[in-house]
Formats: sequence, C-alpha cells, structure tokens
Amino acid sequence: MIETLEKSLHGAGSTPVNIVVAHALEAKALIPMLHLQPFDTTSRFVQYGNSNNLHLIVSGIGRAAMEAAITDLSQQQANEEGQIRAWLNIGIAGHSQAPLGGAWLGNKITCQVSGVSAYPPQLIAHIDSGAVITVDEPERTYPEDAAYEMEAFSFFEQATKYSTAELVQVFKIISDNLENPIEKLDFKNVPNWIGLQQEQIILLISKMSSLVGEYNDSNRIPEVYRDLCSRMHLTVNQKLQLRRLCLRYKALGLESDLESVISLAGSHSKKVISQLSAQIDRVGKQ
Amino acid sequence: MFSTIYIEEEVLETSRVKKMLDRFPQVPRVVCERYGEVFNRKSQNFRLQKKAPALILAKKYGSKVLAAPDGYGYNDSRSYYFSHMLNCVYDCRYCFLQGMYSSANYVLFVNYEDFEEAIASKIEENSGGGVYYSGYDCDSLALEPVSDFCKHFVPLFGEYPNAELEIRTKSTQIRHLLEQPVIPNCVIAMSFTSHEAGARWEHKVPSIDKRLEALQKLQLAGWRVALRFEPLILDSLGLTPYENLFAQVFAKLDAKKIHSVSSGLFRMPIDFHKRIVKLYPDEELFARPTTTADGMIALKSEDESLQLAAIEKILFSHVSPQQYYRCG
Ligand code: SF4
Repeated sequence: MIETLEKSLHGAGSTPVNIVVAHALEAKALIPMLHLQPFDTTSRFVQYGNSNNLHLIVSGIGRAAMEAAITDLSQQQANEEGQIRAWLNIGIAGHSQAPLGGAWLGNKITCQVSGVSAYPPQLIAHIDSGAVITVDEPERTYPEDAAYEMEAFSFFEQATKYSTAELVQVFKIISDNLENPIEKLDFKNVPNWIGLQQEQIILLISKMSSLVGEYNDSNRIPEVYRDLCSRMHLTVNQKLQLRRLCLRYKALGLESDLESVISLAGSHSKKVISQLSAQIDRVGKQ
Repeated sequence: MFSTIYIEEEVLETSRVKKMLDRFPQVPRVVCERYGEVFNRKSQNFRLQKKAPALILAKKYGSKVLAAPDGYGYNDSRSYYFSHMLNCVYDCRYCFLQGMYSSANYVLFVNYEDFEEAIASKIEENSGGGVYYSGYDCDSLALEPVSDFCKHFVPLFGEYPNAELEIRTKSTQIRHLLEQPVIPNCVIAMSFTSHEAGARWEHKVPSIDKRLEALQKLQLAGWRVALRFEPLILDSLGLTPYENLFAQVFAKLDAKKIHSVSSGLFRMPIDFHKRIVKLYPDEELFARPTTTADGMIALKSEDESLQLAAIEKILFSHVSPQQYYRCG
C-alpha cells in the first residue's frame, strides 16, 4: 500500500501539502523520499517542490524563524479561489526514554514559556500520537512525557491562520534522550532517523493530501468566475456575490447554465449578477 | 468509535470517567485543562472533524437547565432544556449543530449529579411541573452505551410525576429504558423525515424500520412515545413521500397511545445557515433559494403553507388534532 501512496505523491494527482522543517539536515532525508527538486524562488527561505504541488520549506531554528517562513510561504501561495493547503511540520525532538528514531504526531502542543496548549485535531488513524513541548532553549532533562523541540507551537499557531486546524499537523522524530544527550547529538544521523519513518511520513502526507483535496474540491469555483473577474471590473462585494452564485449553480447541478446566463446579460457587472440571481431563484426551487 | 478521547484534568480521576475510559483502551487519550481549549476553537472545521470525531469528557459549569427556545416543543411557557452532551453521532445535513459549533467532537459533561440537582431545583421552582427537553444540542440516546444517560436522568423524573421529560432522539439505543420501570411522565420522541429525505440528508441514522421497531418495543413495554416529523423539506416529490411514511409509521404503532405528534418546516437561524453554506458550498440543499424572517432562514416556496396543511390533513387521518402541534 505504501508504494501506491508513495507513487501518488509524485504521480499525476495533486498533493497540496506544505512541509516545514527547521533544519537543512531534516530536509536532506525528505528530498529523495518525496522526490522533491529545488524550487526557484526569490524568497530568503530555501524551498523544494515537485510537479505534484508538494512543497517543502526550510525555516531555520526557533519560533520566530518558523513564523517568518510560514508567512513567507503563505504569501507566495496566496490565491483568490479559497483553495487551501495542508501544513506538516516534520522535525527532530528529545524525550527522556523514547528510542532514537521513534516518532509521533503531536496531539497536544504546549508552549513552555506561556504554558498555553494547542490541540491539533486528530483525523489520521494508524499513526502514534503524543505530547509535544516547544521550548526556547534545548531541554536536557525532559521532565514530561513529551517530545521537546523548538518550533511546533509557533508552527501550529501560524499555519492555522492559513488553513484549518485539522490540516495542520506536527510529526516529531526522537533524536536525543537521557542516554543520548543533546550535546552528543550527531547531526549526520538525522536523515537516517527521518528515513526510518518513511512509511509513516508517506501515510501522513497522503492522508492529509486527500483531506485537503476533498476540501478544495467542494470549494472549487467554476472556471467562469475567473473569466468574469478578468473580463469586467468587479467590486470586492460583487466578487463575493458572484463567487457565491457560481458555487450555488455548481451545487444545484447548473454549472453548465452559467455561460449562457452570463452571455445573455452582456458585460455589465450589475446586470450579470442580477440575471444570475433571478435565474437561480427561478430554477433552484425544488 | 472515537479518534481521540480528551479528558479535562478535573474529571480525570472520577469513577465515571475511569469506567468510560476502560471501554476504549486503544483510543489515544489527551488531558486538557478545559474542554474549550479543544472544542469550538476558531480555525476548526466541522465537516472535516465529522470524519473522525473525538470524545471530550468534561465538567459543565454555569447554568445547566435553560429556557427552551421559542417554538421548541409544546406551547408551554414552562419549557426548559438541558444538554449533558454537545453534538451528535449522526450526521444530518440539515442539522443546525453544524452551524452552531465549529467542532464536530462530542462533548460529554460527566457531572450528572450537578445536572440532576439543577433539574430538581428547576422543577421545584415550577411547583413540581414544567417540561424538560433533552436532545436539543445532541441526540440523547445515541451515545447511551457510553454515557448511561437514561440510567441516571430518567429515574429522577419518577420523583416528580407532574414534570415531564422529553427525550428527543433518532437512536435505537433503548436497552437501558427497557431495563428500568416505566416512568409515565417520560416521553421518548422519535424524529422522522421521509425515506427520500433520509436517504439524501441523514447519514449514519438508523433506518426508519429500525426506529419504528424501537418505538414499538417501548410502546409495548408501556413507555409513552411521541413522533416528530421534522424538518419537513418540501420538494418536487410532493406529498407522496409523507403519505408513505405515515402509513408505515402508523401501521406499526398504536396511534391512540401516542403522546404527541408534531411537524415543522426546515428553519434555521440566519447565522447558522451562513456558516453551514461555507462548510458545504457543494450541498444542493443550501444552494436553494431562501427567505428570511425574524432572524430565521427558510426555503423559498410559494405554496409552503398549503403543502404543510395538506401534510397535516394526511396526519389527521391517523391521529387526532388534539395529539398534534406545529413547530416553529
Ligand atoms: S440526529 Fe438530530 S442532532 Fe443528530 S445530526 Fe441529525 S438532526 Fe442533528
């Protein structure tokens, strides 16, 4: 099954998922695993992508760097069509006893400084989940049963501004514990530990991709909307009305009628909107 | 059954919670401070959460028994509702809960004793009377095997014979009711829409046959049952779906013994409708033309009142007008 899922990540479908890592070594394992190529951009953040819409950005370490990277990427990907992307933070973390290379999905992310917790909704089955604590300084004693790291809380807070919480997830892979303290962490091992989680990572990305795909499909605005926006001057309010009308036509199975109603209404925006409204009121009654 | 179980720290060590958790050893558990940290946050999506809802075990603070909204239930000025649970295990596309909460997780308030105390004091405030609805923010019975709701709340009304409890449901989880003595002032009100509407908009809801079977068992055991035909969503199929539904229902139940029958058209607060439209832009029901009045939205229809009257006429061939009330 994993082979099929893996193929789908770089096949013909769409994978509107952003992966955010803090460190270049974390990216190193993911680039071949996910068939990513360097992404040409003017952004100050190093990025990778594939033709299938999967994207990876390297944020740098710490909460501020994470926030900046997400803002940057979301601006780069902004669209008027209401299409969103899933966001996945993959990174290394410490835990008192968990074995190196072990991993879980964050079901409770606590900011150690403020004590505030966030709870990413858990829609994806068959992946272990557990607590994550975001710290500003590396943690050496790991007092709680949680993965200690430096970005997850900011990641969740920031990414939920651009997507819905169900599609913002954090996956932490253990790189240090009491027996293998952080001072002795050999960064060369990071790609191996991430590589050990290949199955889980692919499963996670493909599940997130299908969830976001469903969301985007139901919010897909008929093509004619974009056409009209480029052809005529529309106020912000008119664009919203038009968007809703196009979606209603689609929901009522009348998408194919849009063109003819519009062509009859001519090129005046007010008239187009009033014709579309009148027509849907006539035929939309069941 | 649940993707995750969130537990408020305050109720973590209670025997009720421990018993509930014992039923689900495999489900991941997350401890939180207050359920509001998890439930109904901004940036949550009801539709997505409905794919894998979580259970939240929490303690209810504040008012536990509230005045029933206008148009809910019988025309009794002393009507109240209480919600030991928020959200529902079923997924009816027309349900207003989708517009009320941004989260589809089930919140189960486990401080039943506090609810019981609040209900008892409200009944006493009303000289032992009043109508008390359960099932406004949830389906009361659907989570019965986990919640033991009936075991706790129904006997309380045995002590107040002049107060009435209405349990509104689409569930067939009636075992706990059948296992206890009949409380004559407890009414189990089952909701139905036509076969066609059910197939189109009600997901995970037990079939009409199964619901009728449950009602029949209750009626034969001596429980009082009621019928709620709502929301009526009138469409091009006309009256036939309702004729068929009523024929099926009244072939199975003793109409004379039915406590009450009601019907009501599809109505929803405007704000809830707006939120649901955003959630389901692809849903035909929410793309239909609508009208608004008094803060509520309804489907636009020229002959709505005529159709409703026609449906009522069919109903009156099965039950007496005295047994009937119109909702909304
Ligand atoms: S059974 Fe009632 S509460 Fe549950 S989803 Fe359907 S309409 Fe909503």
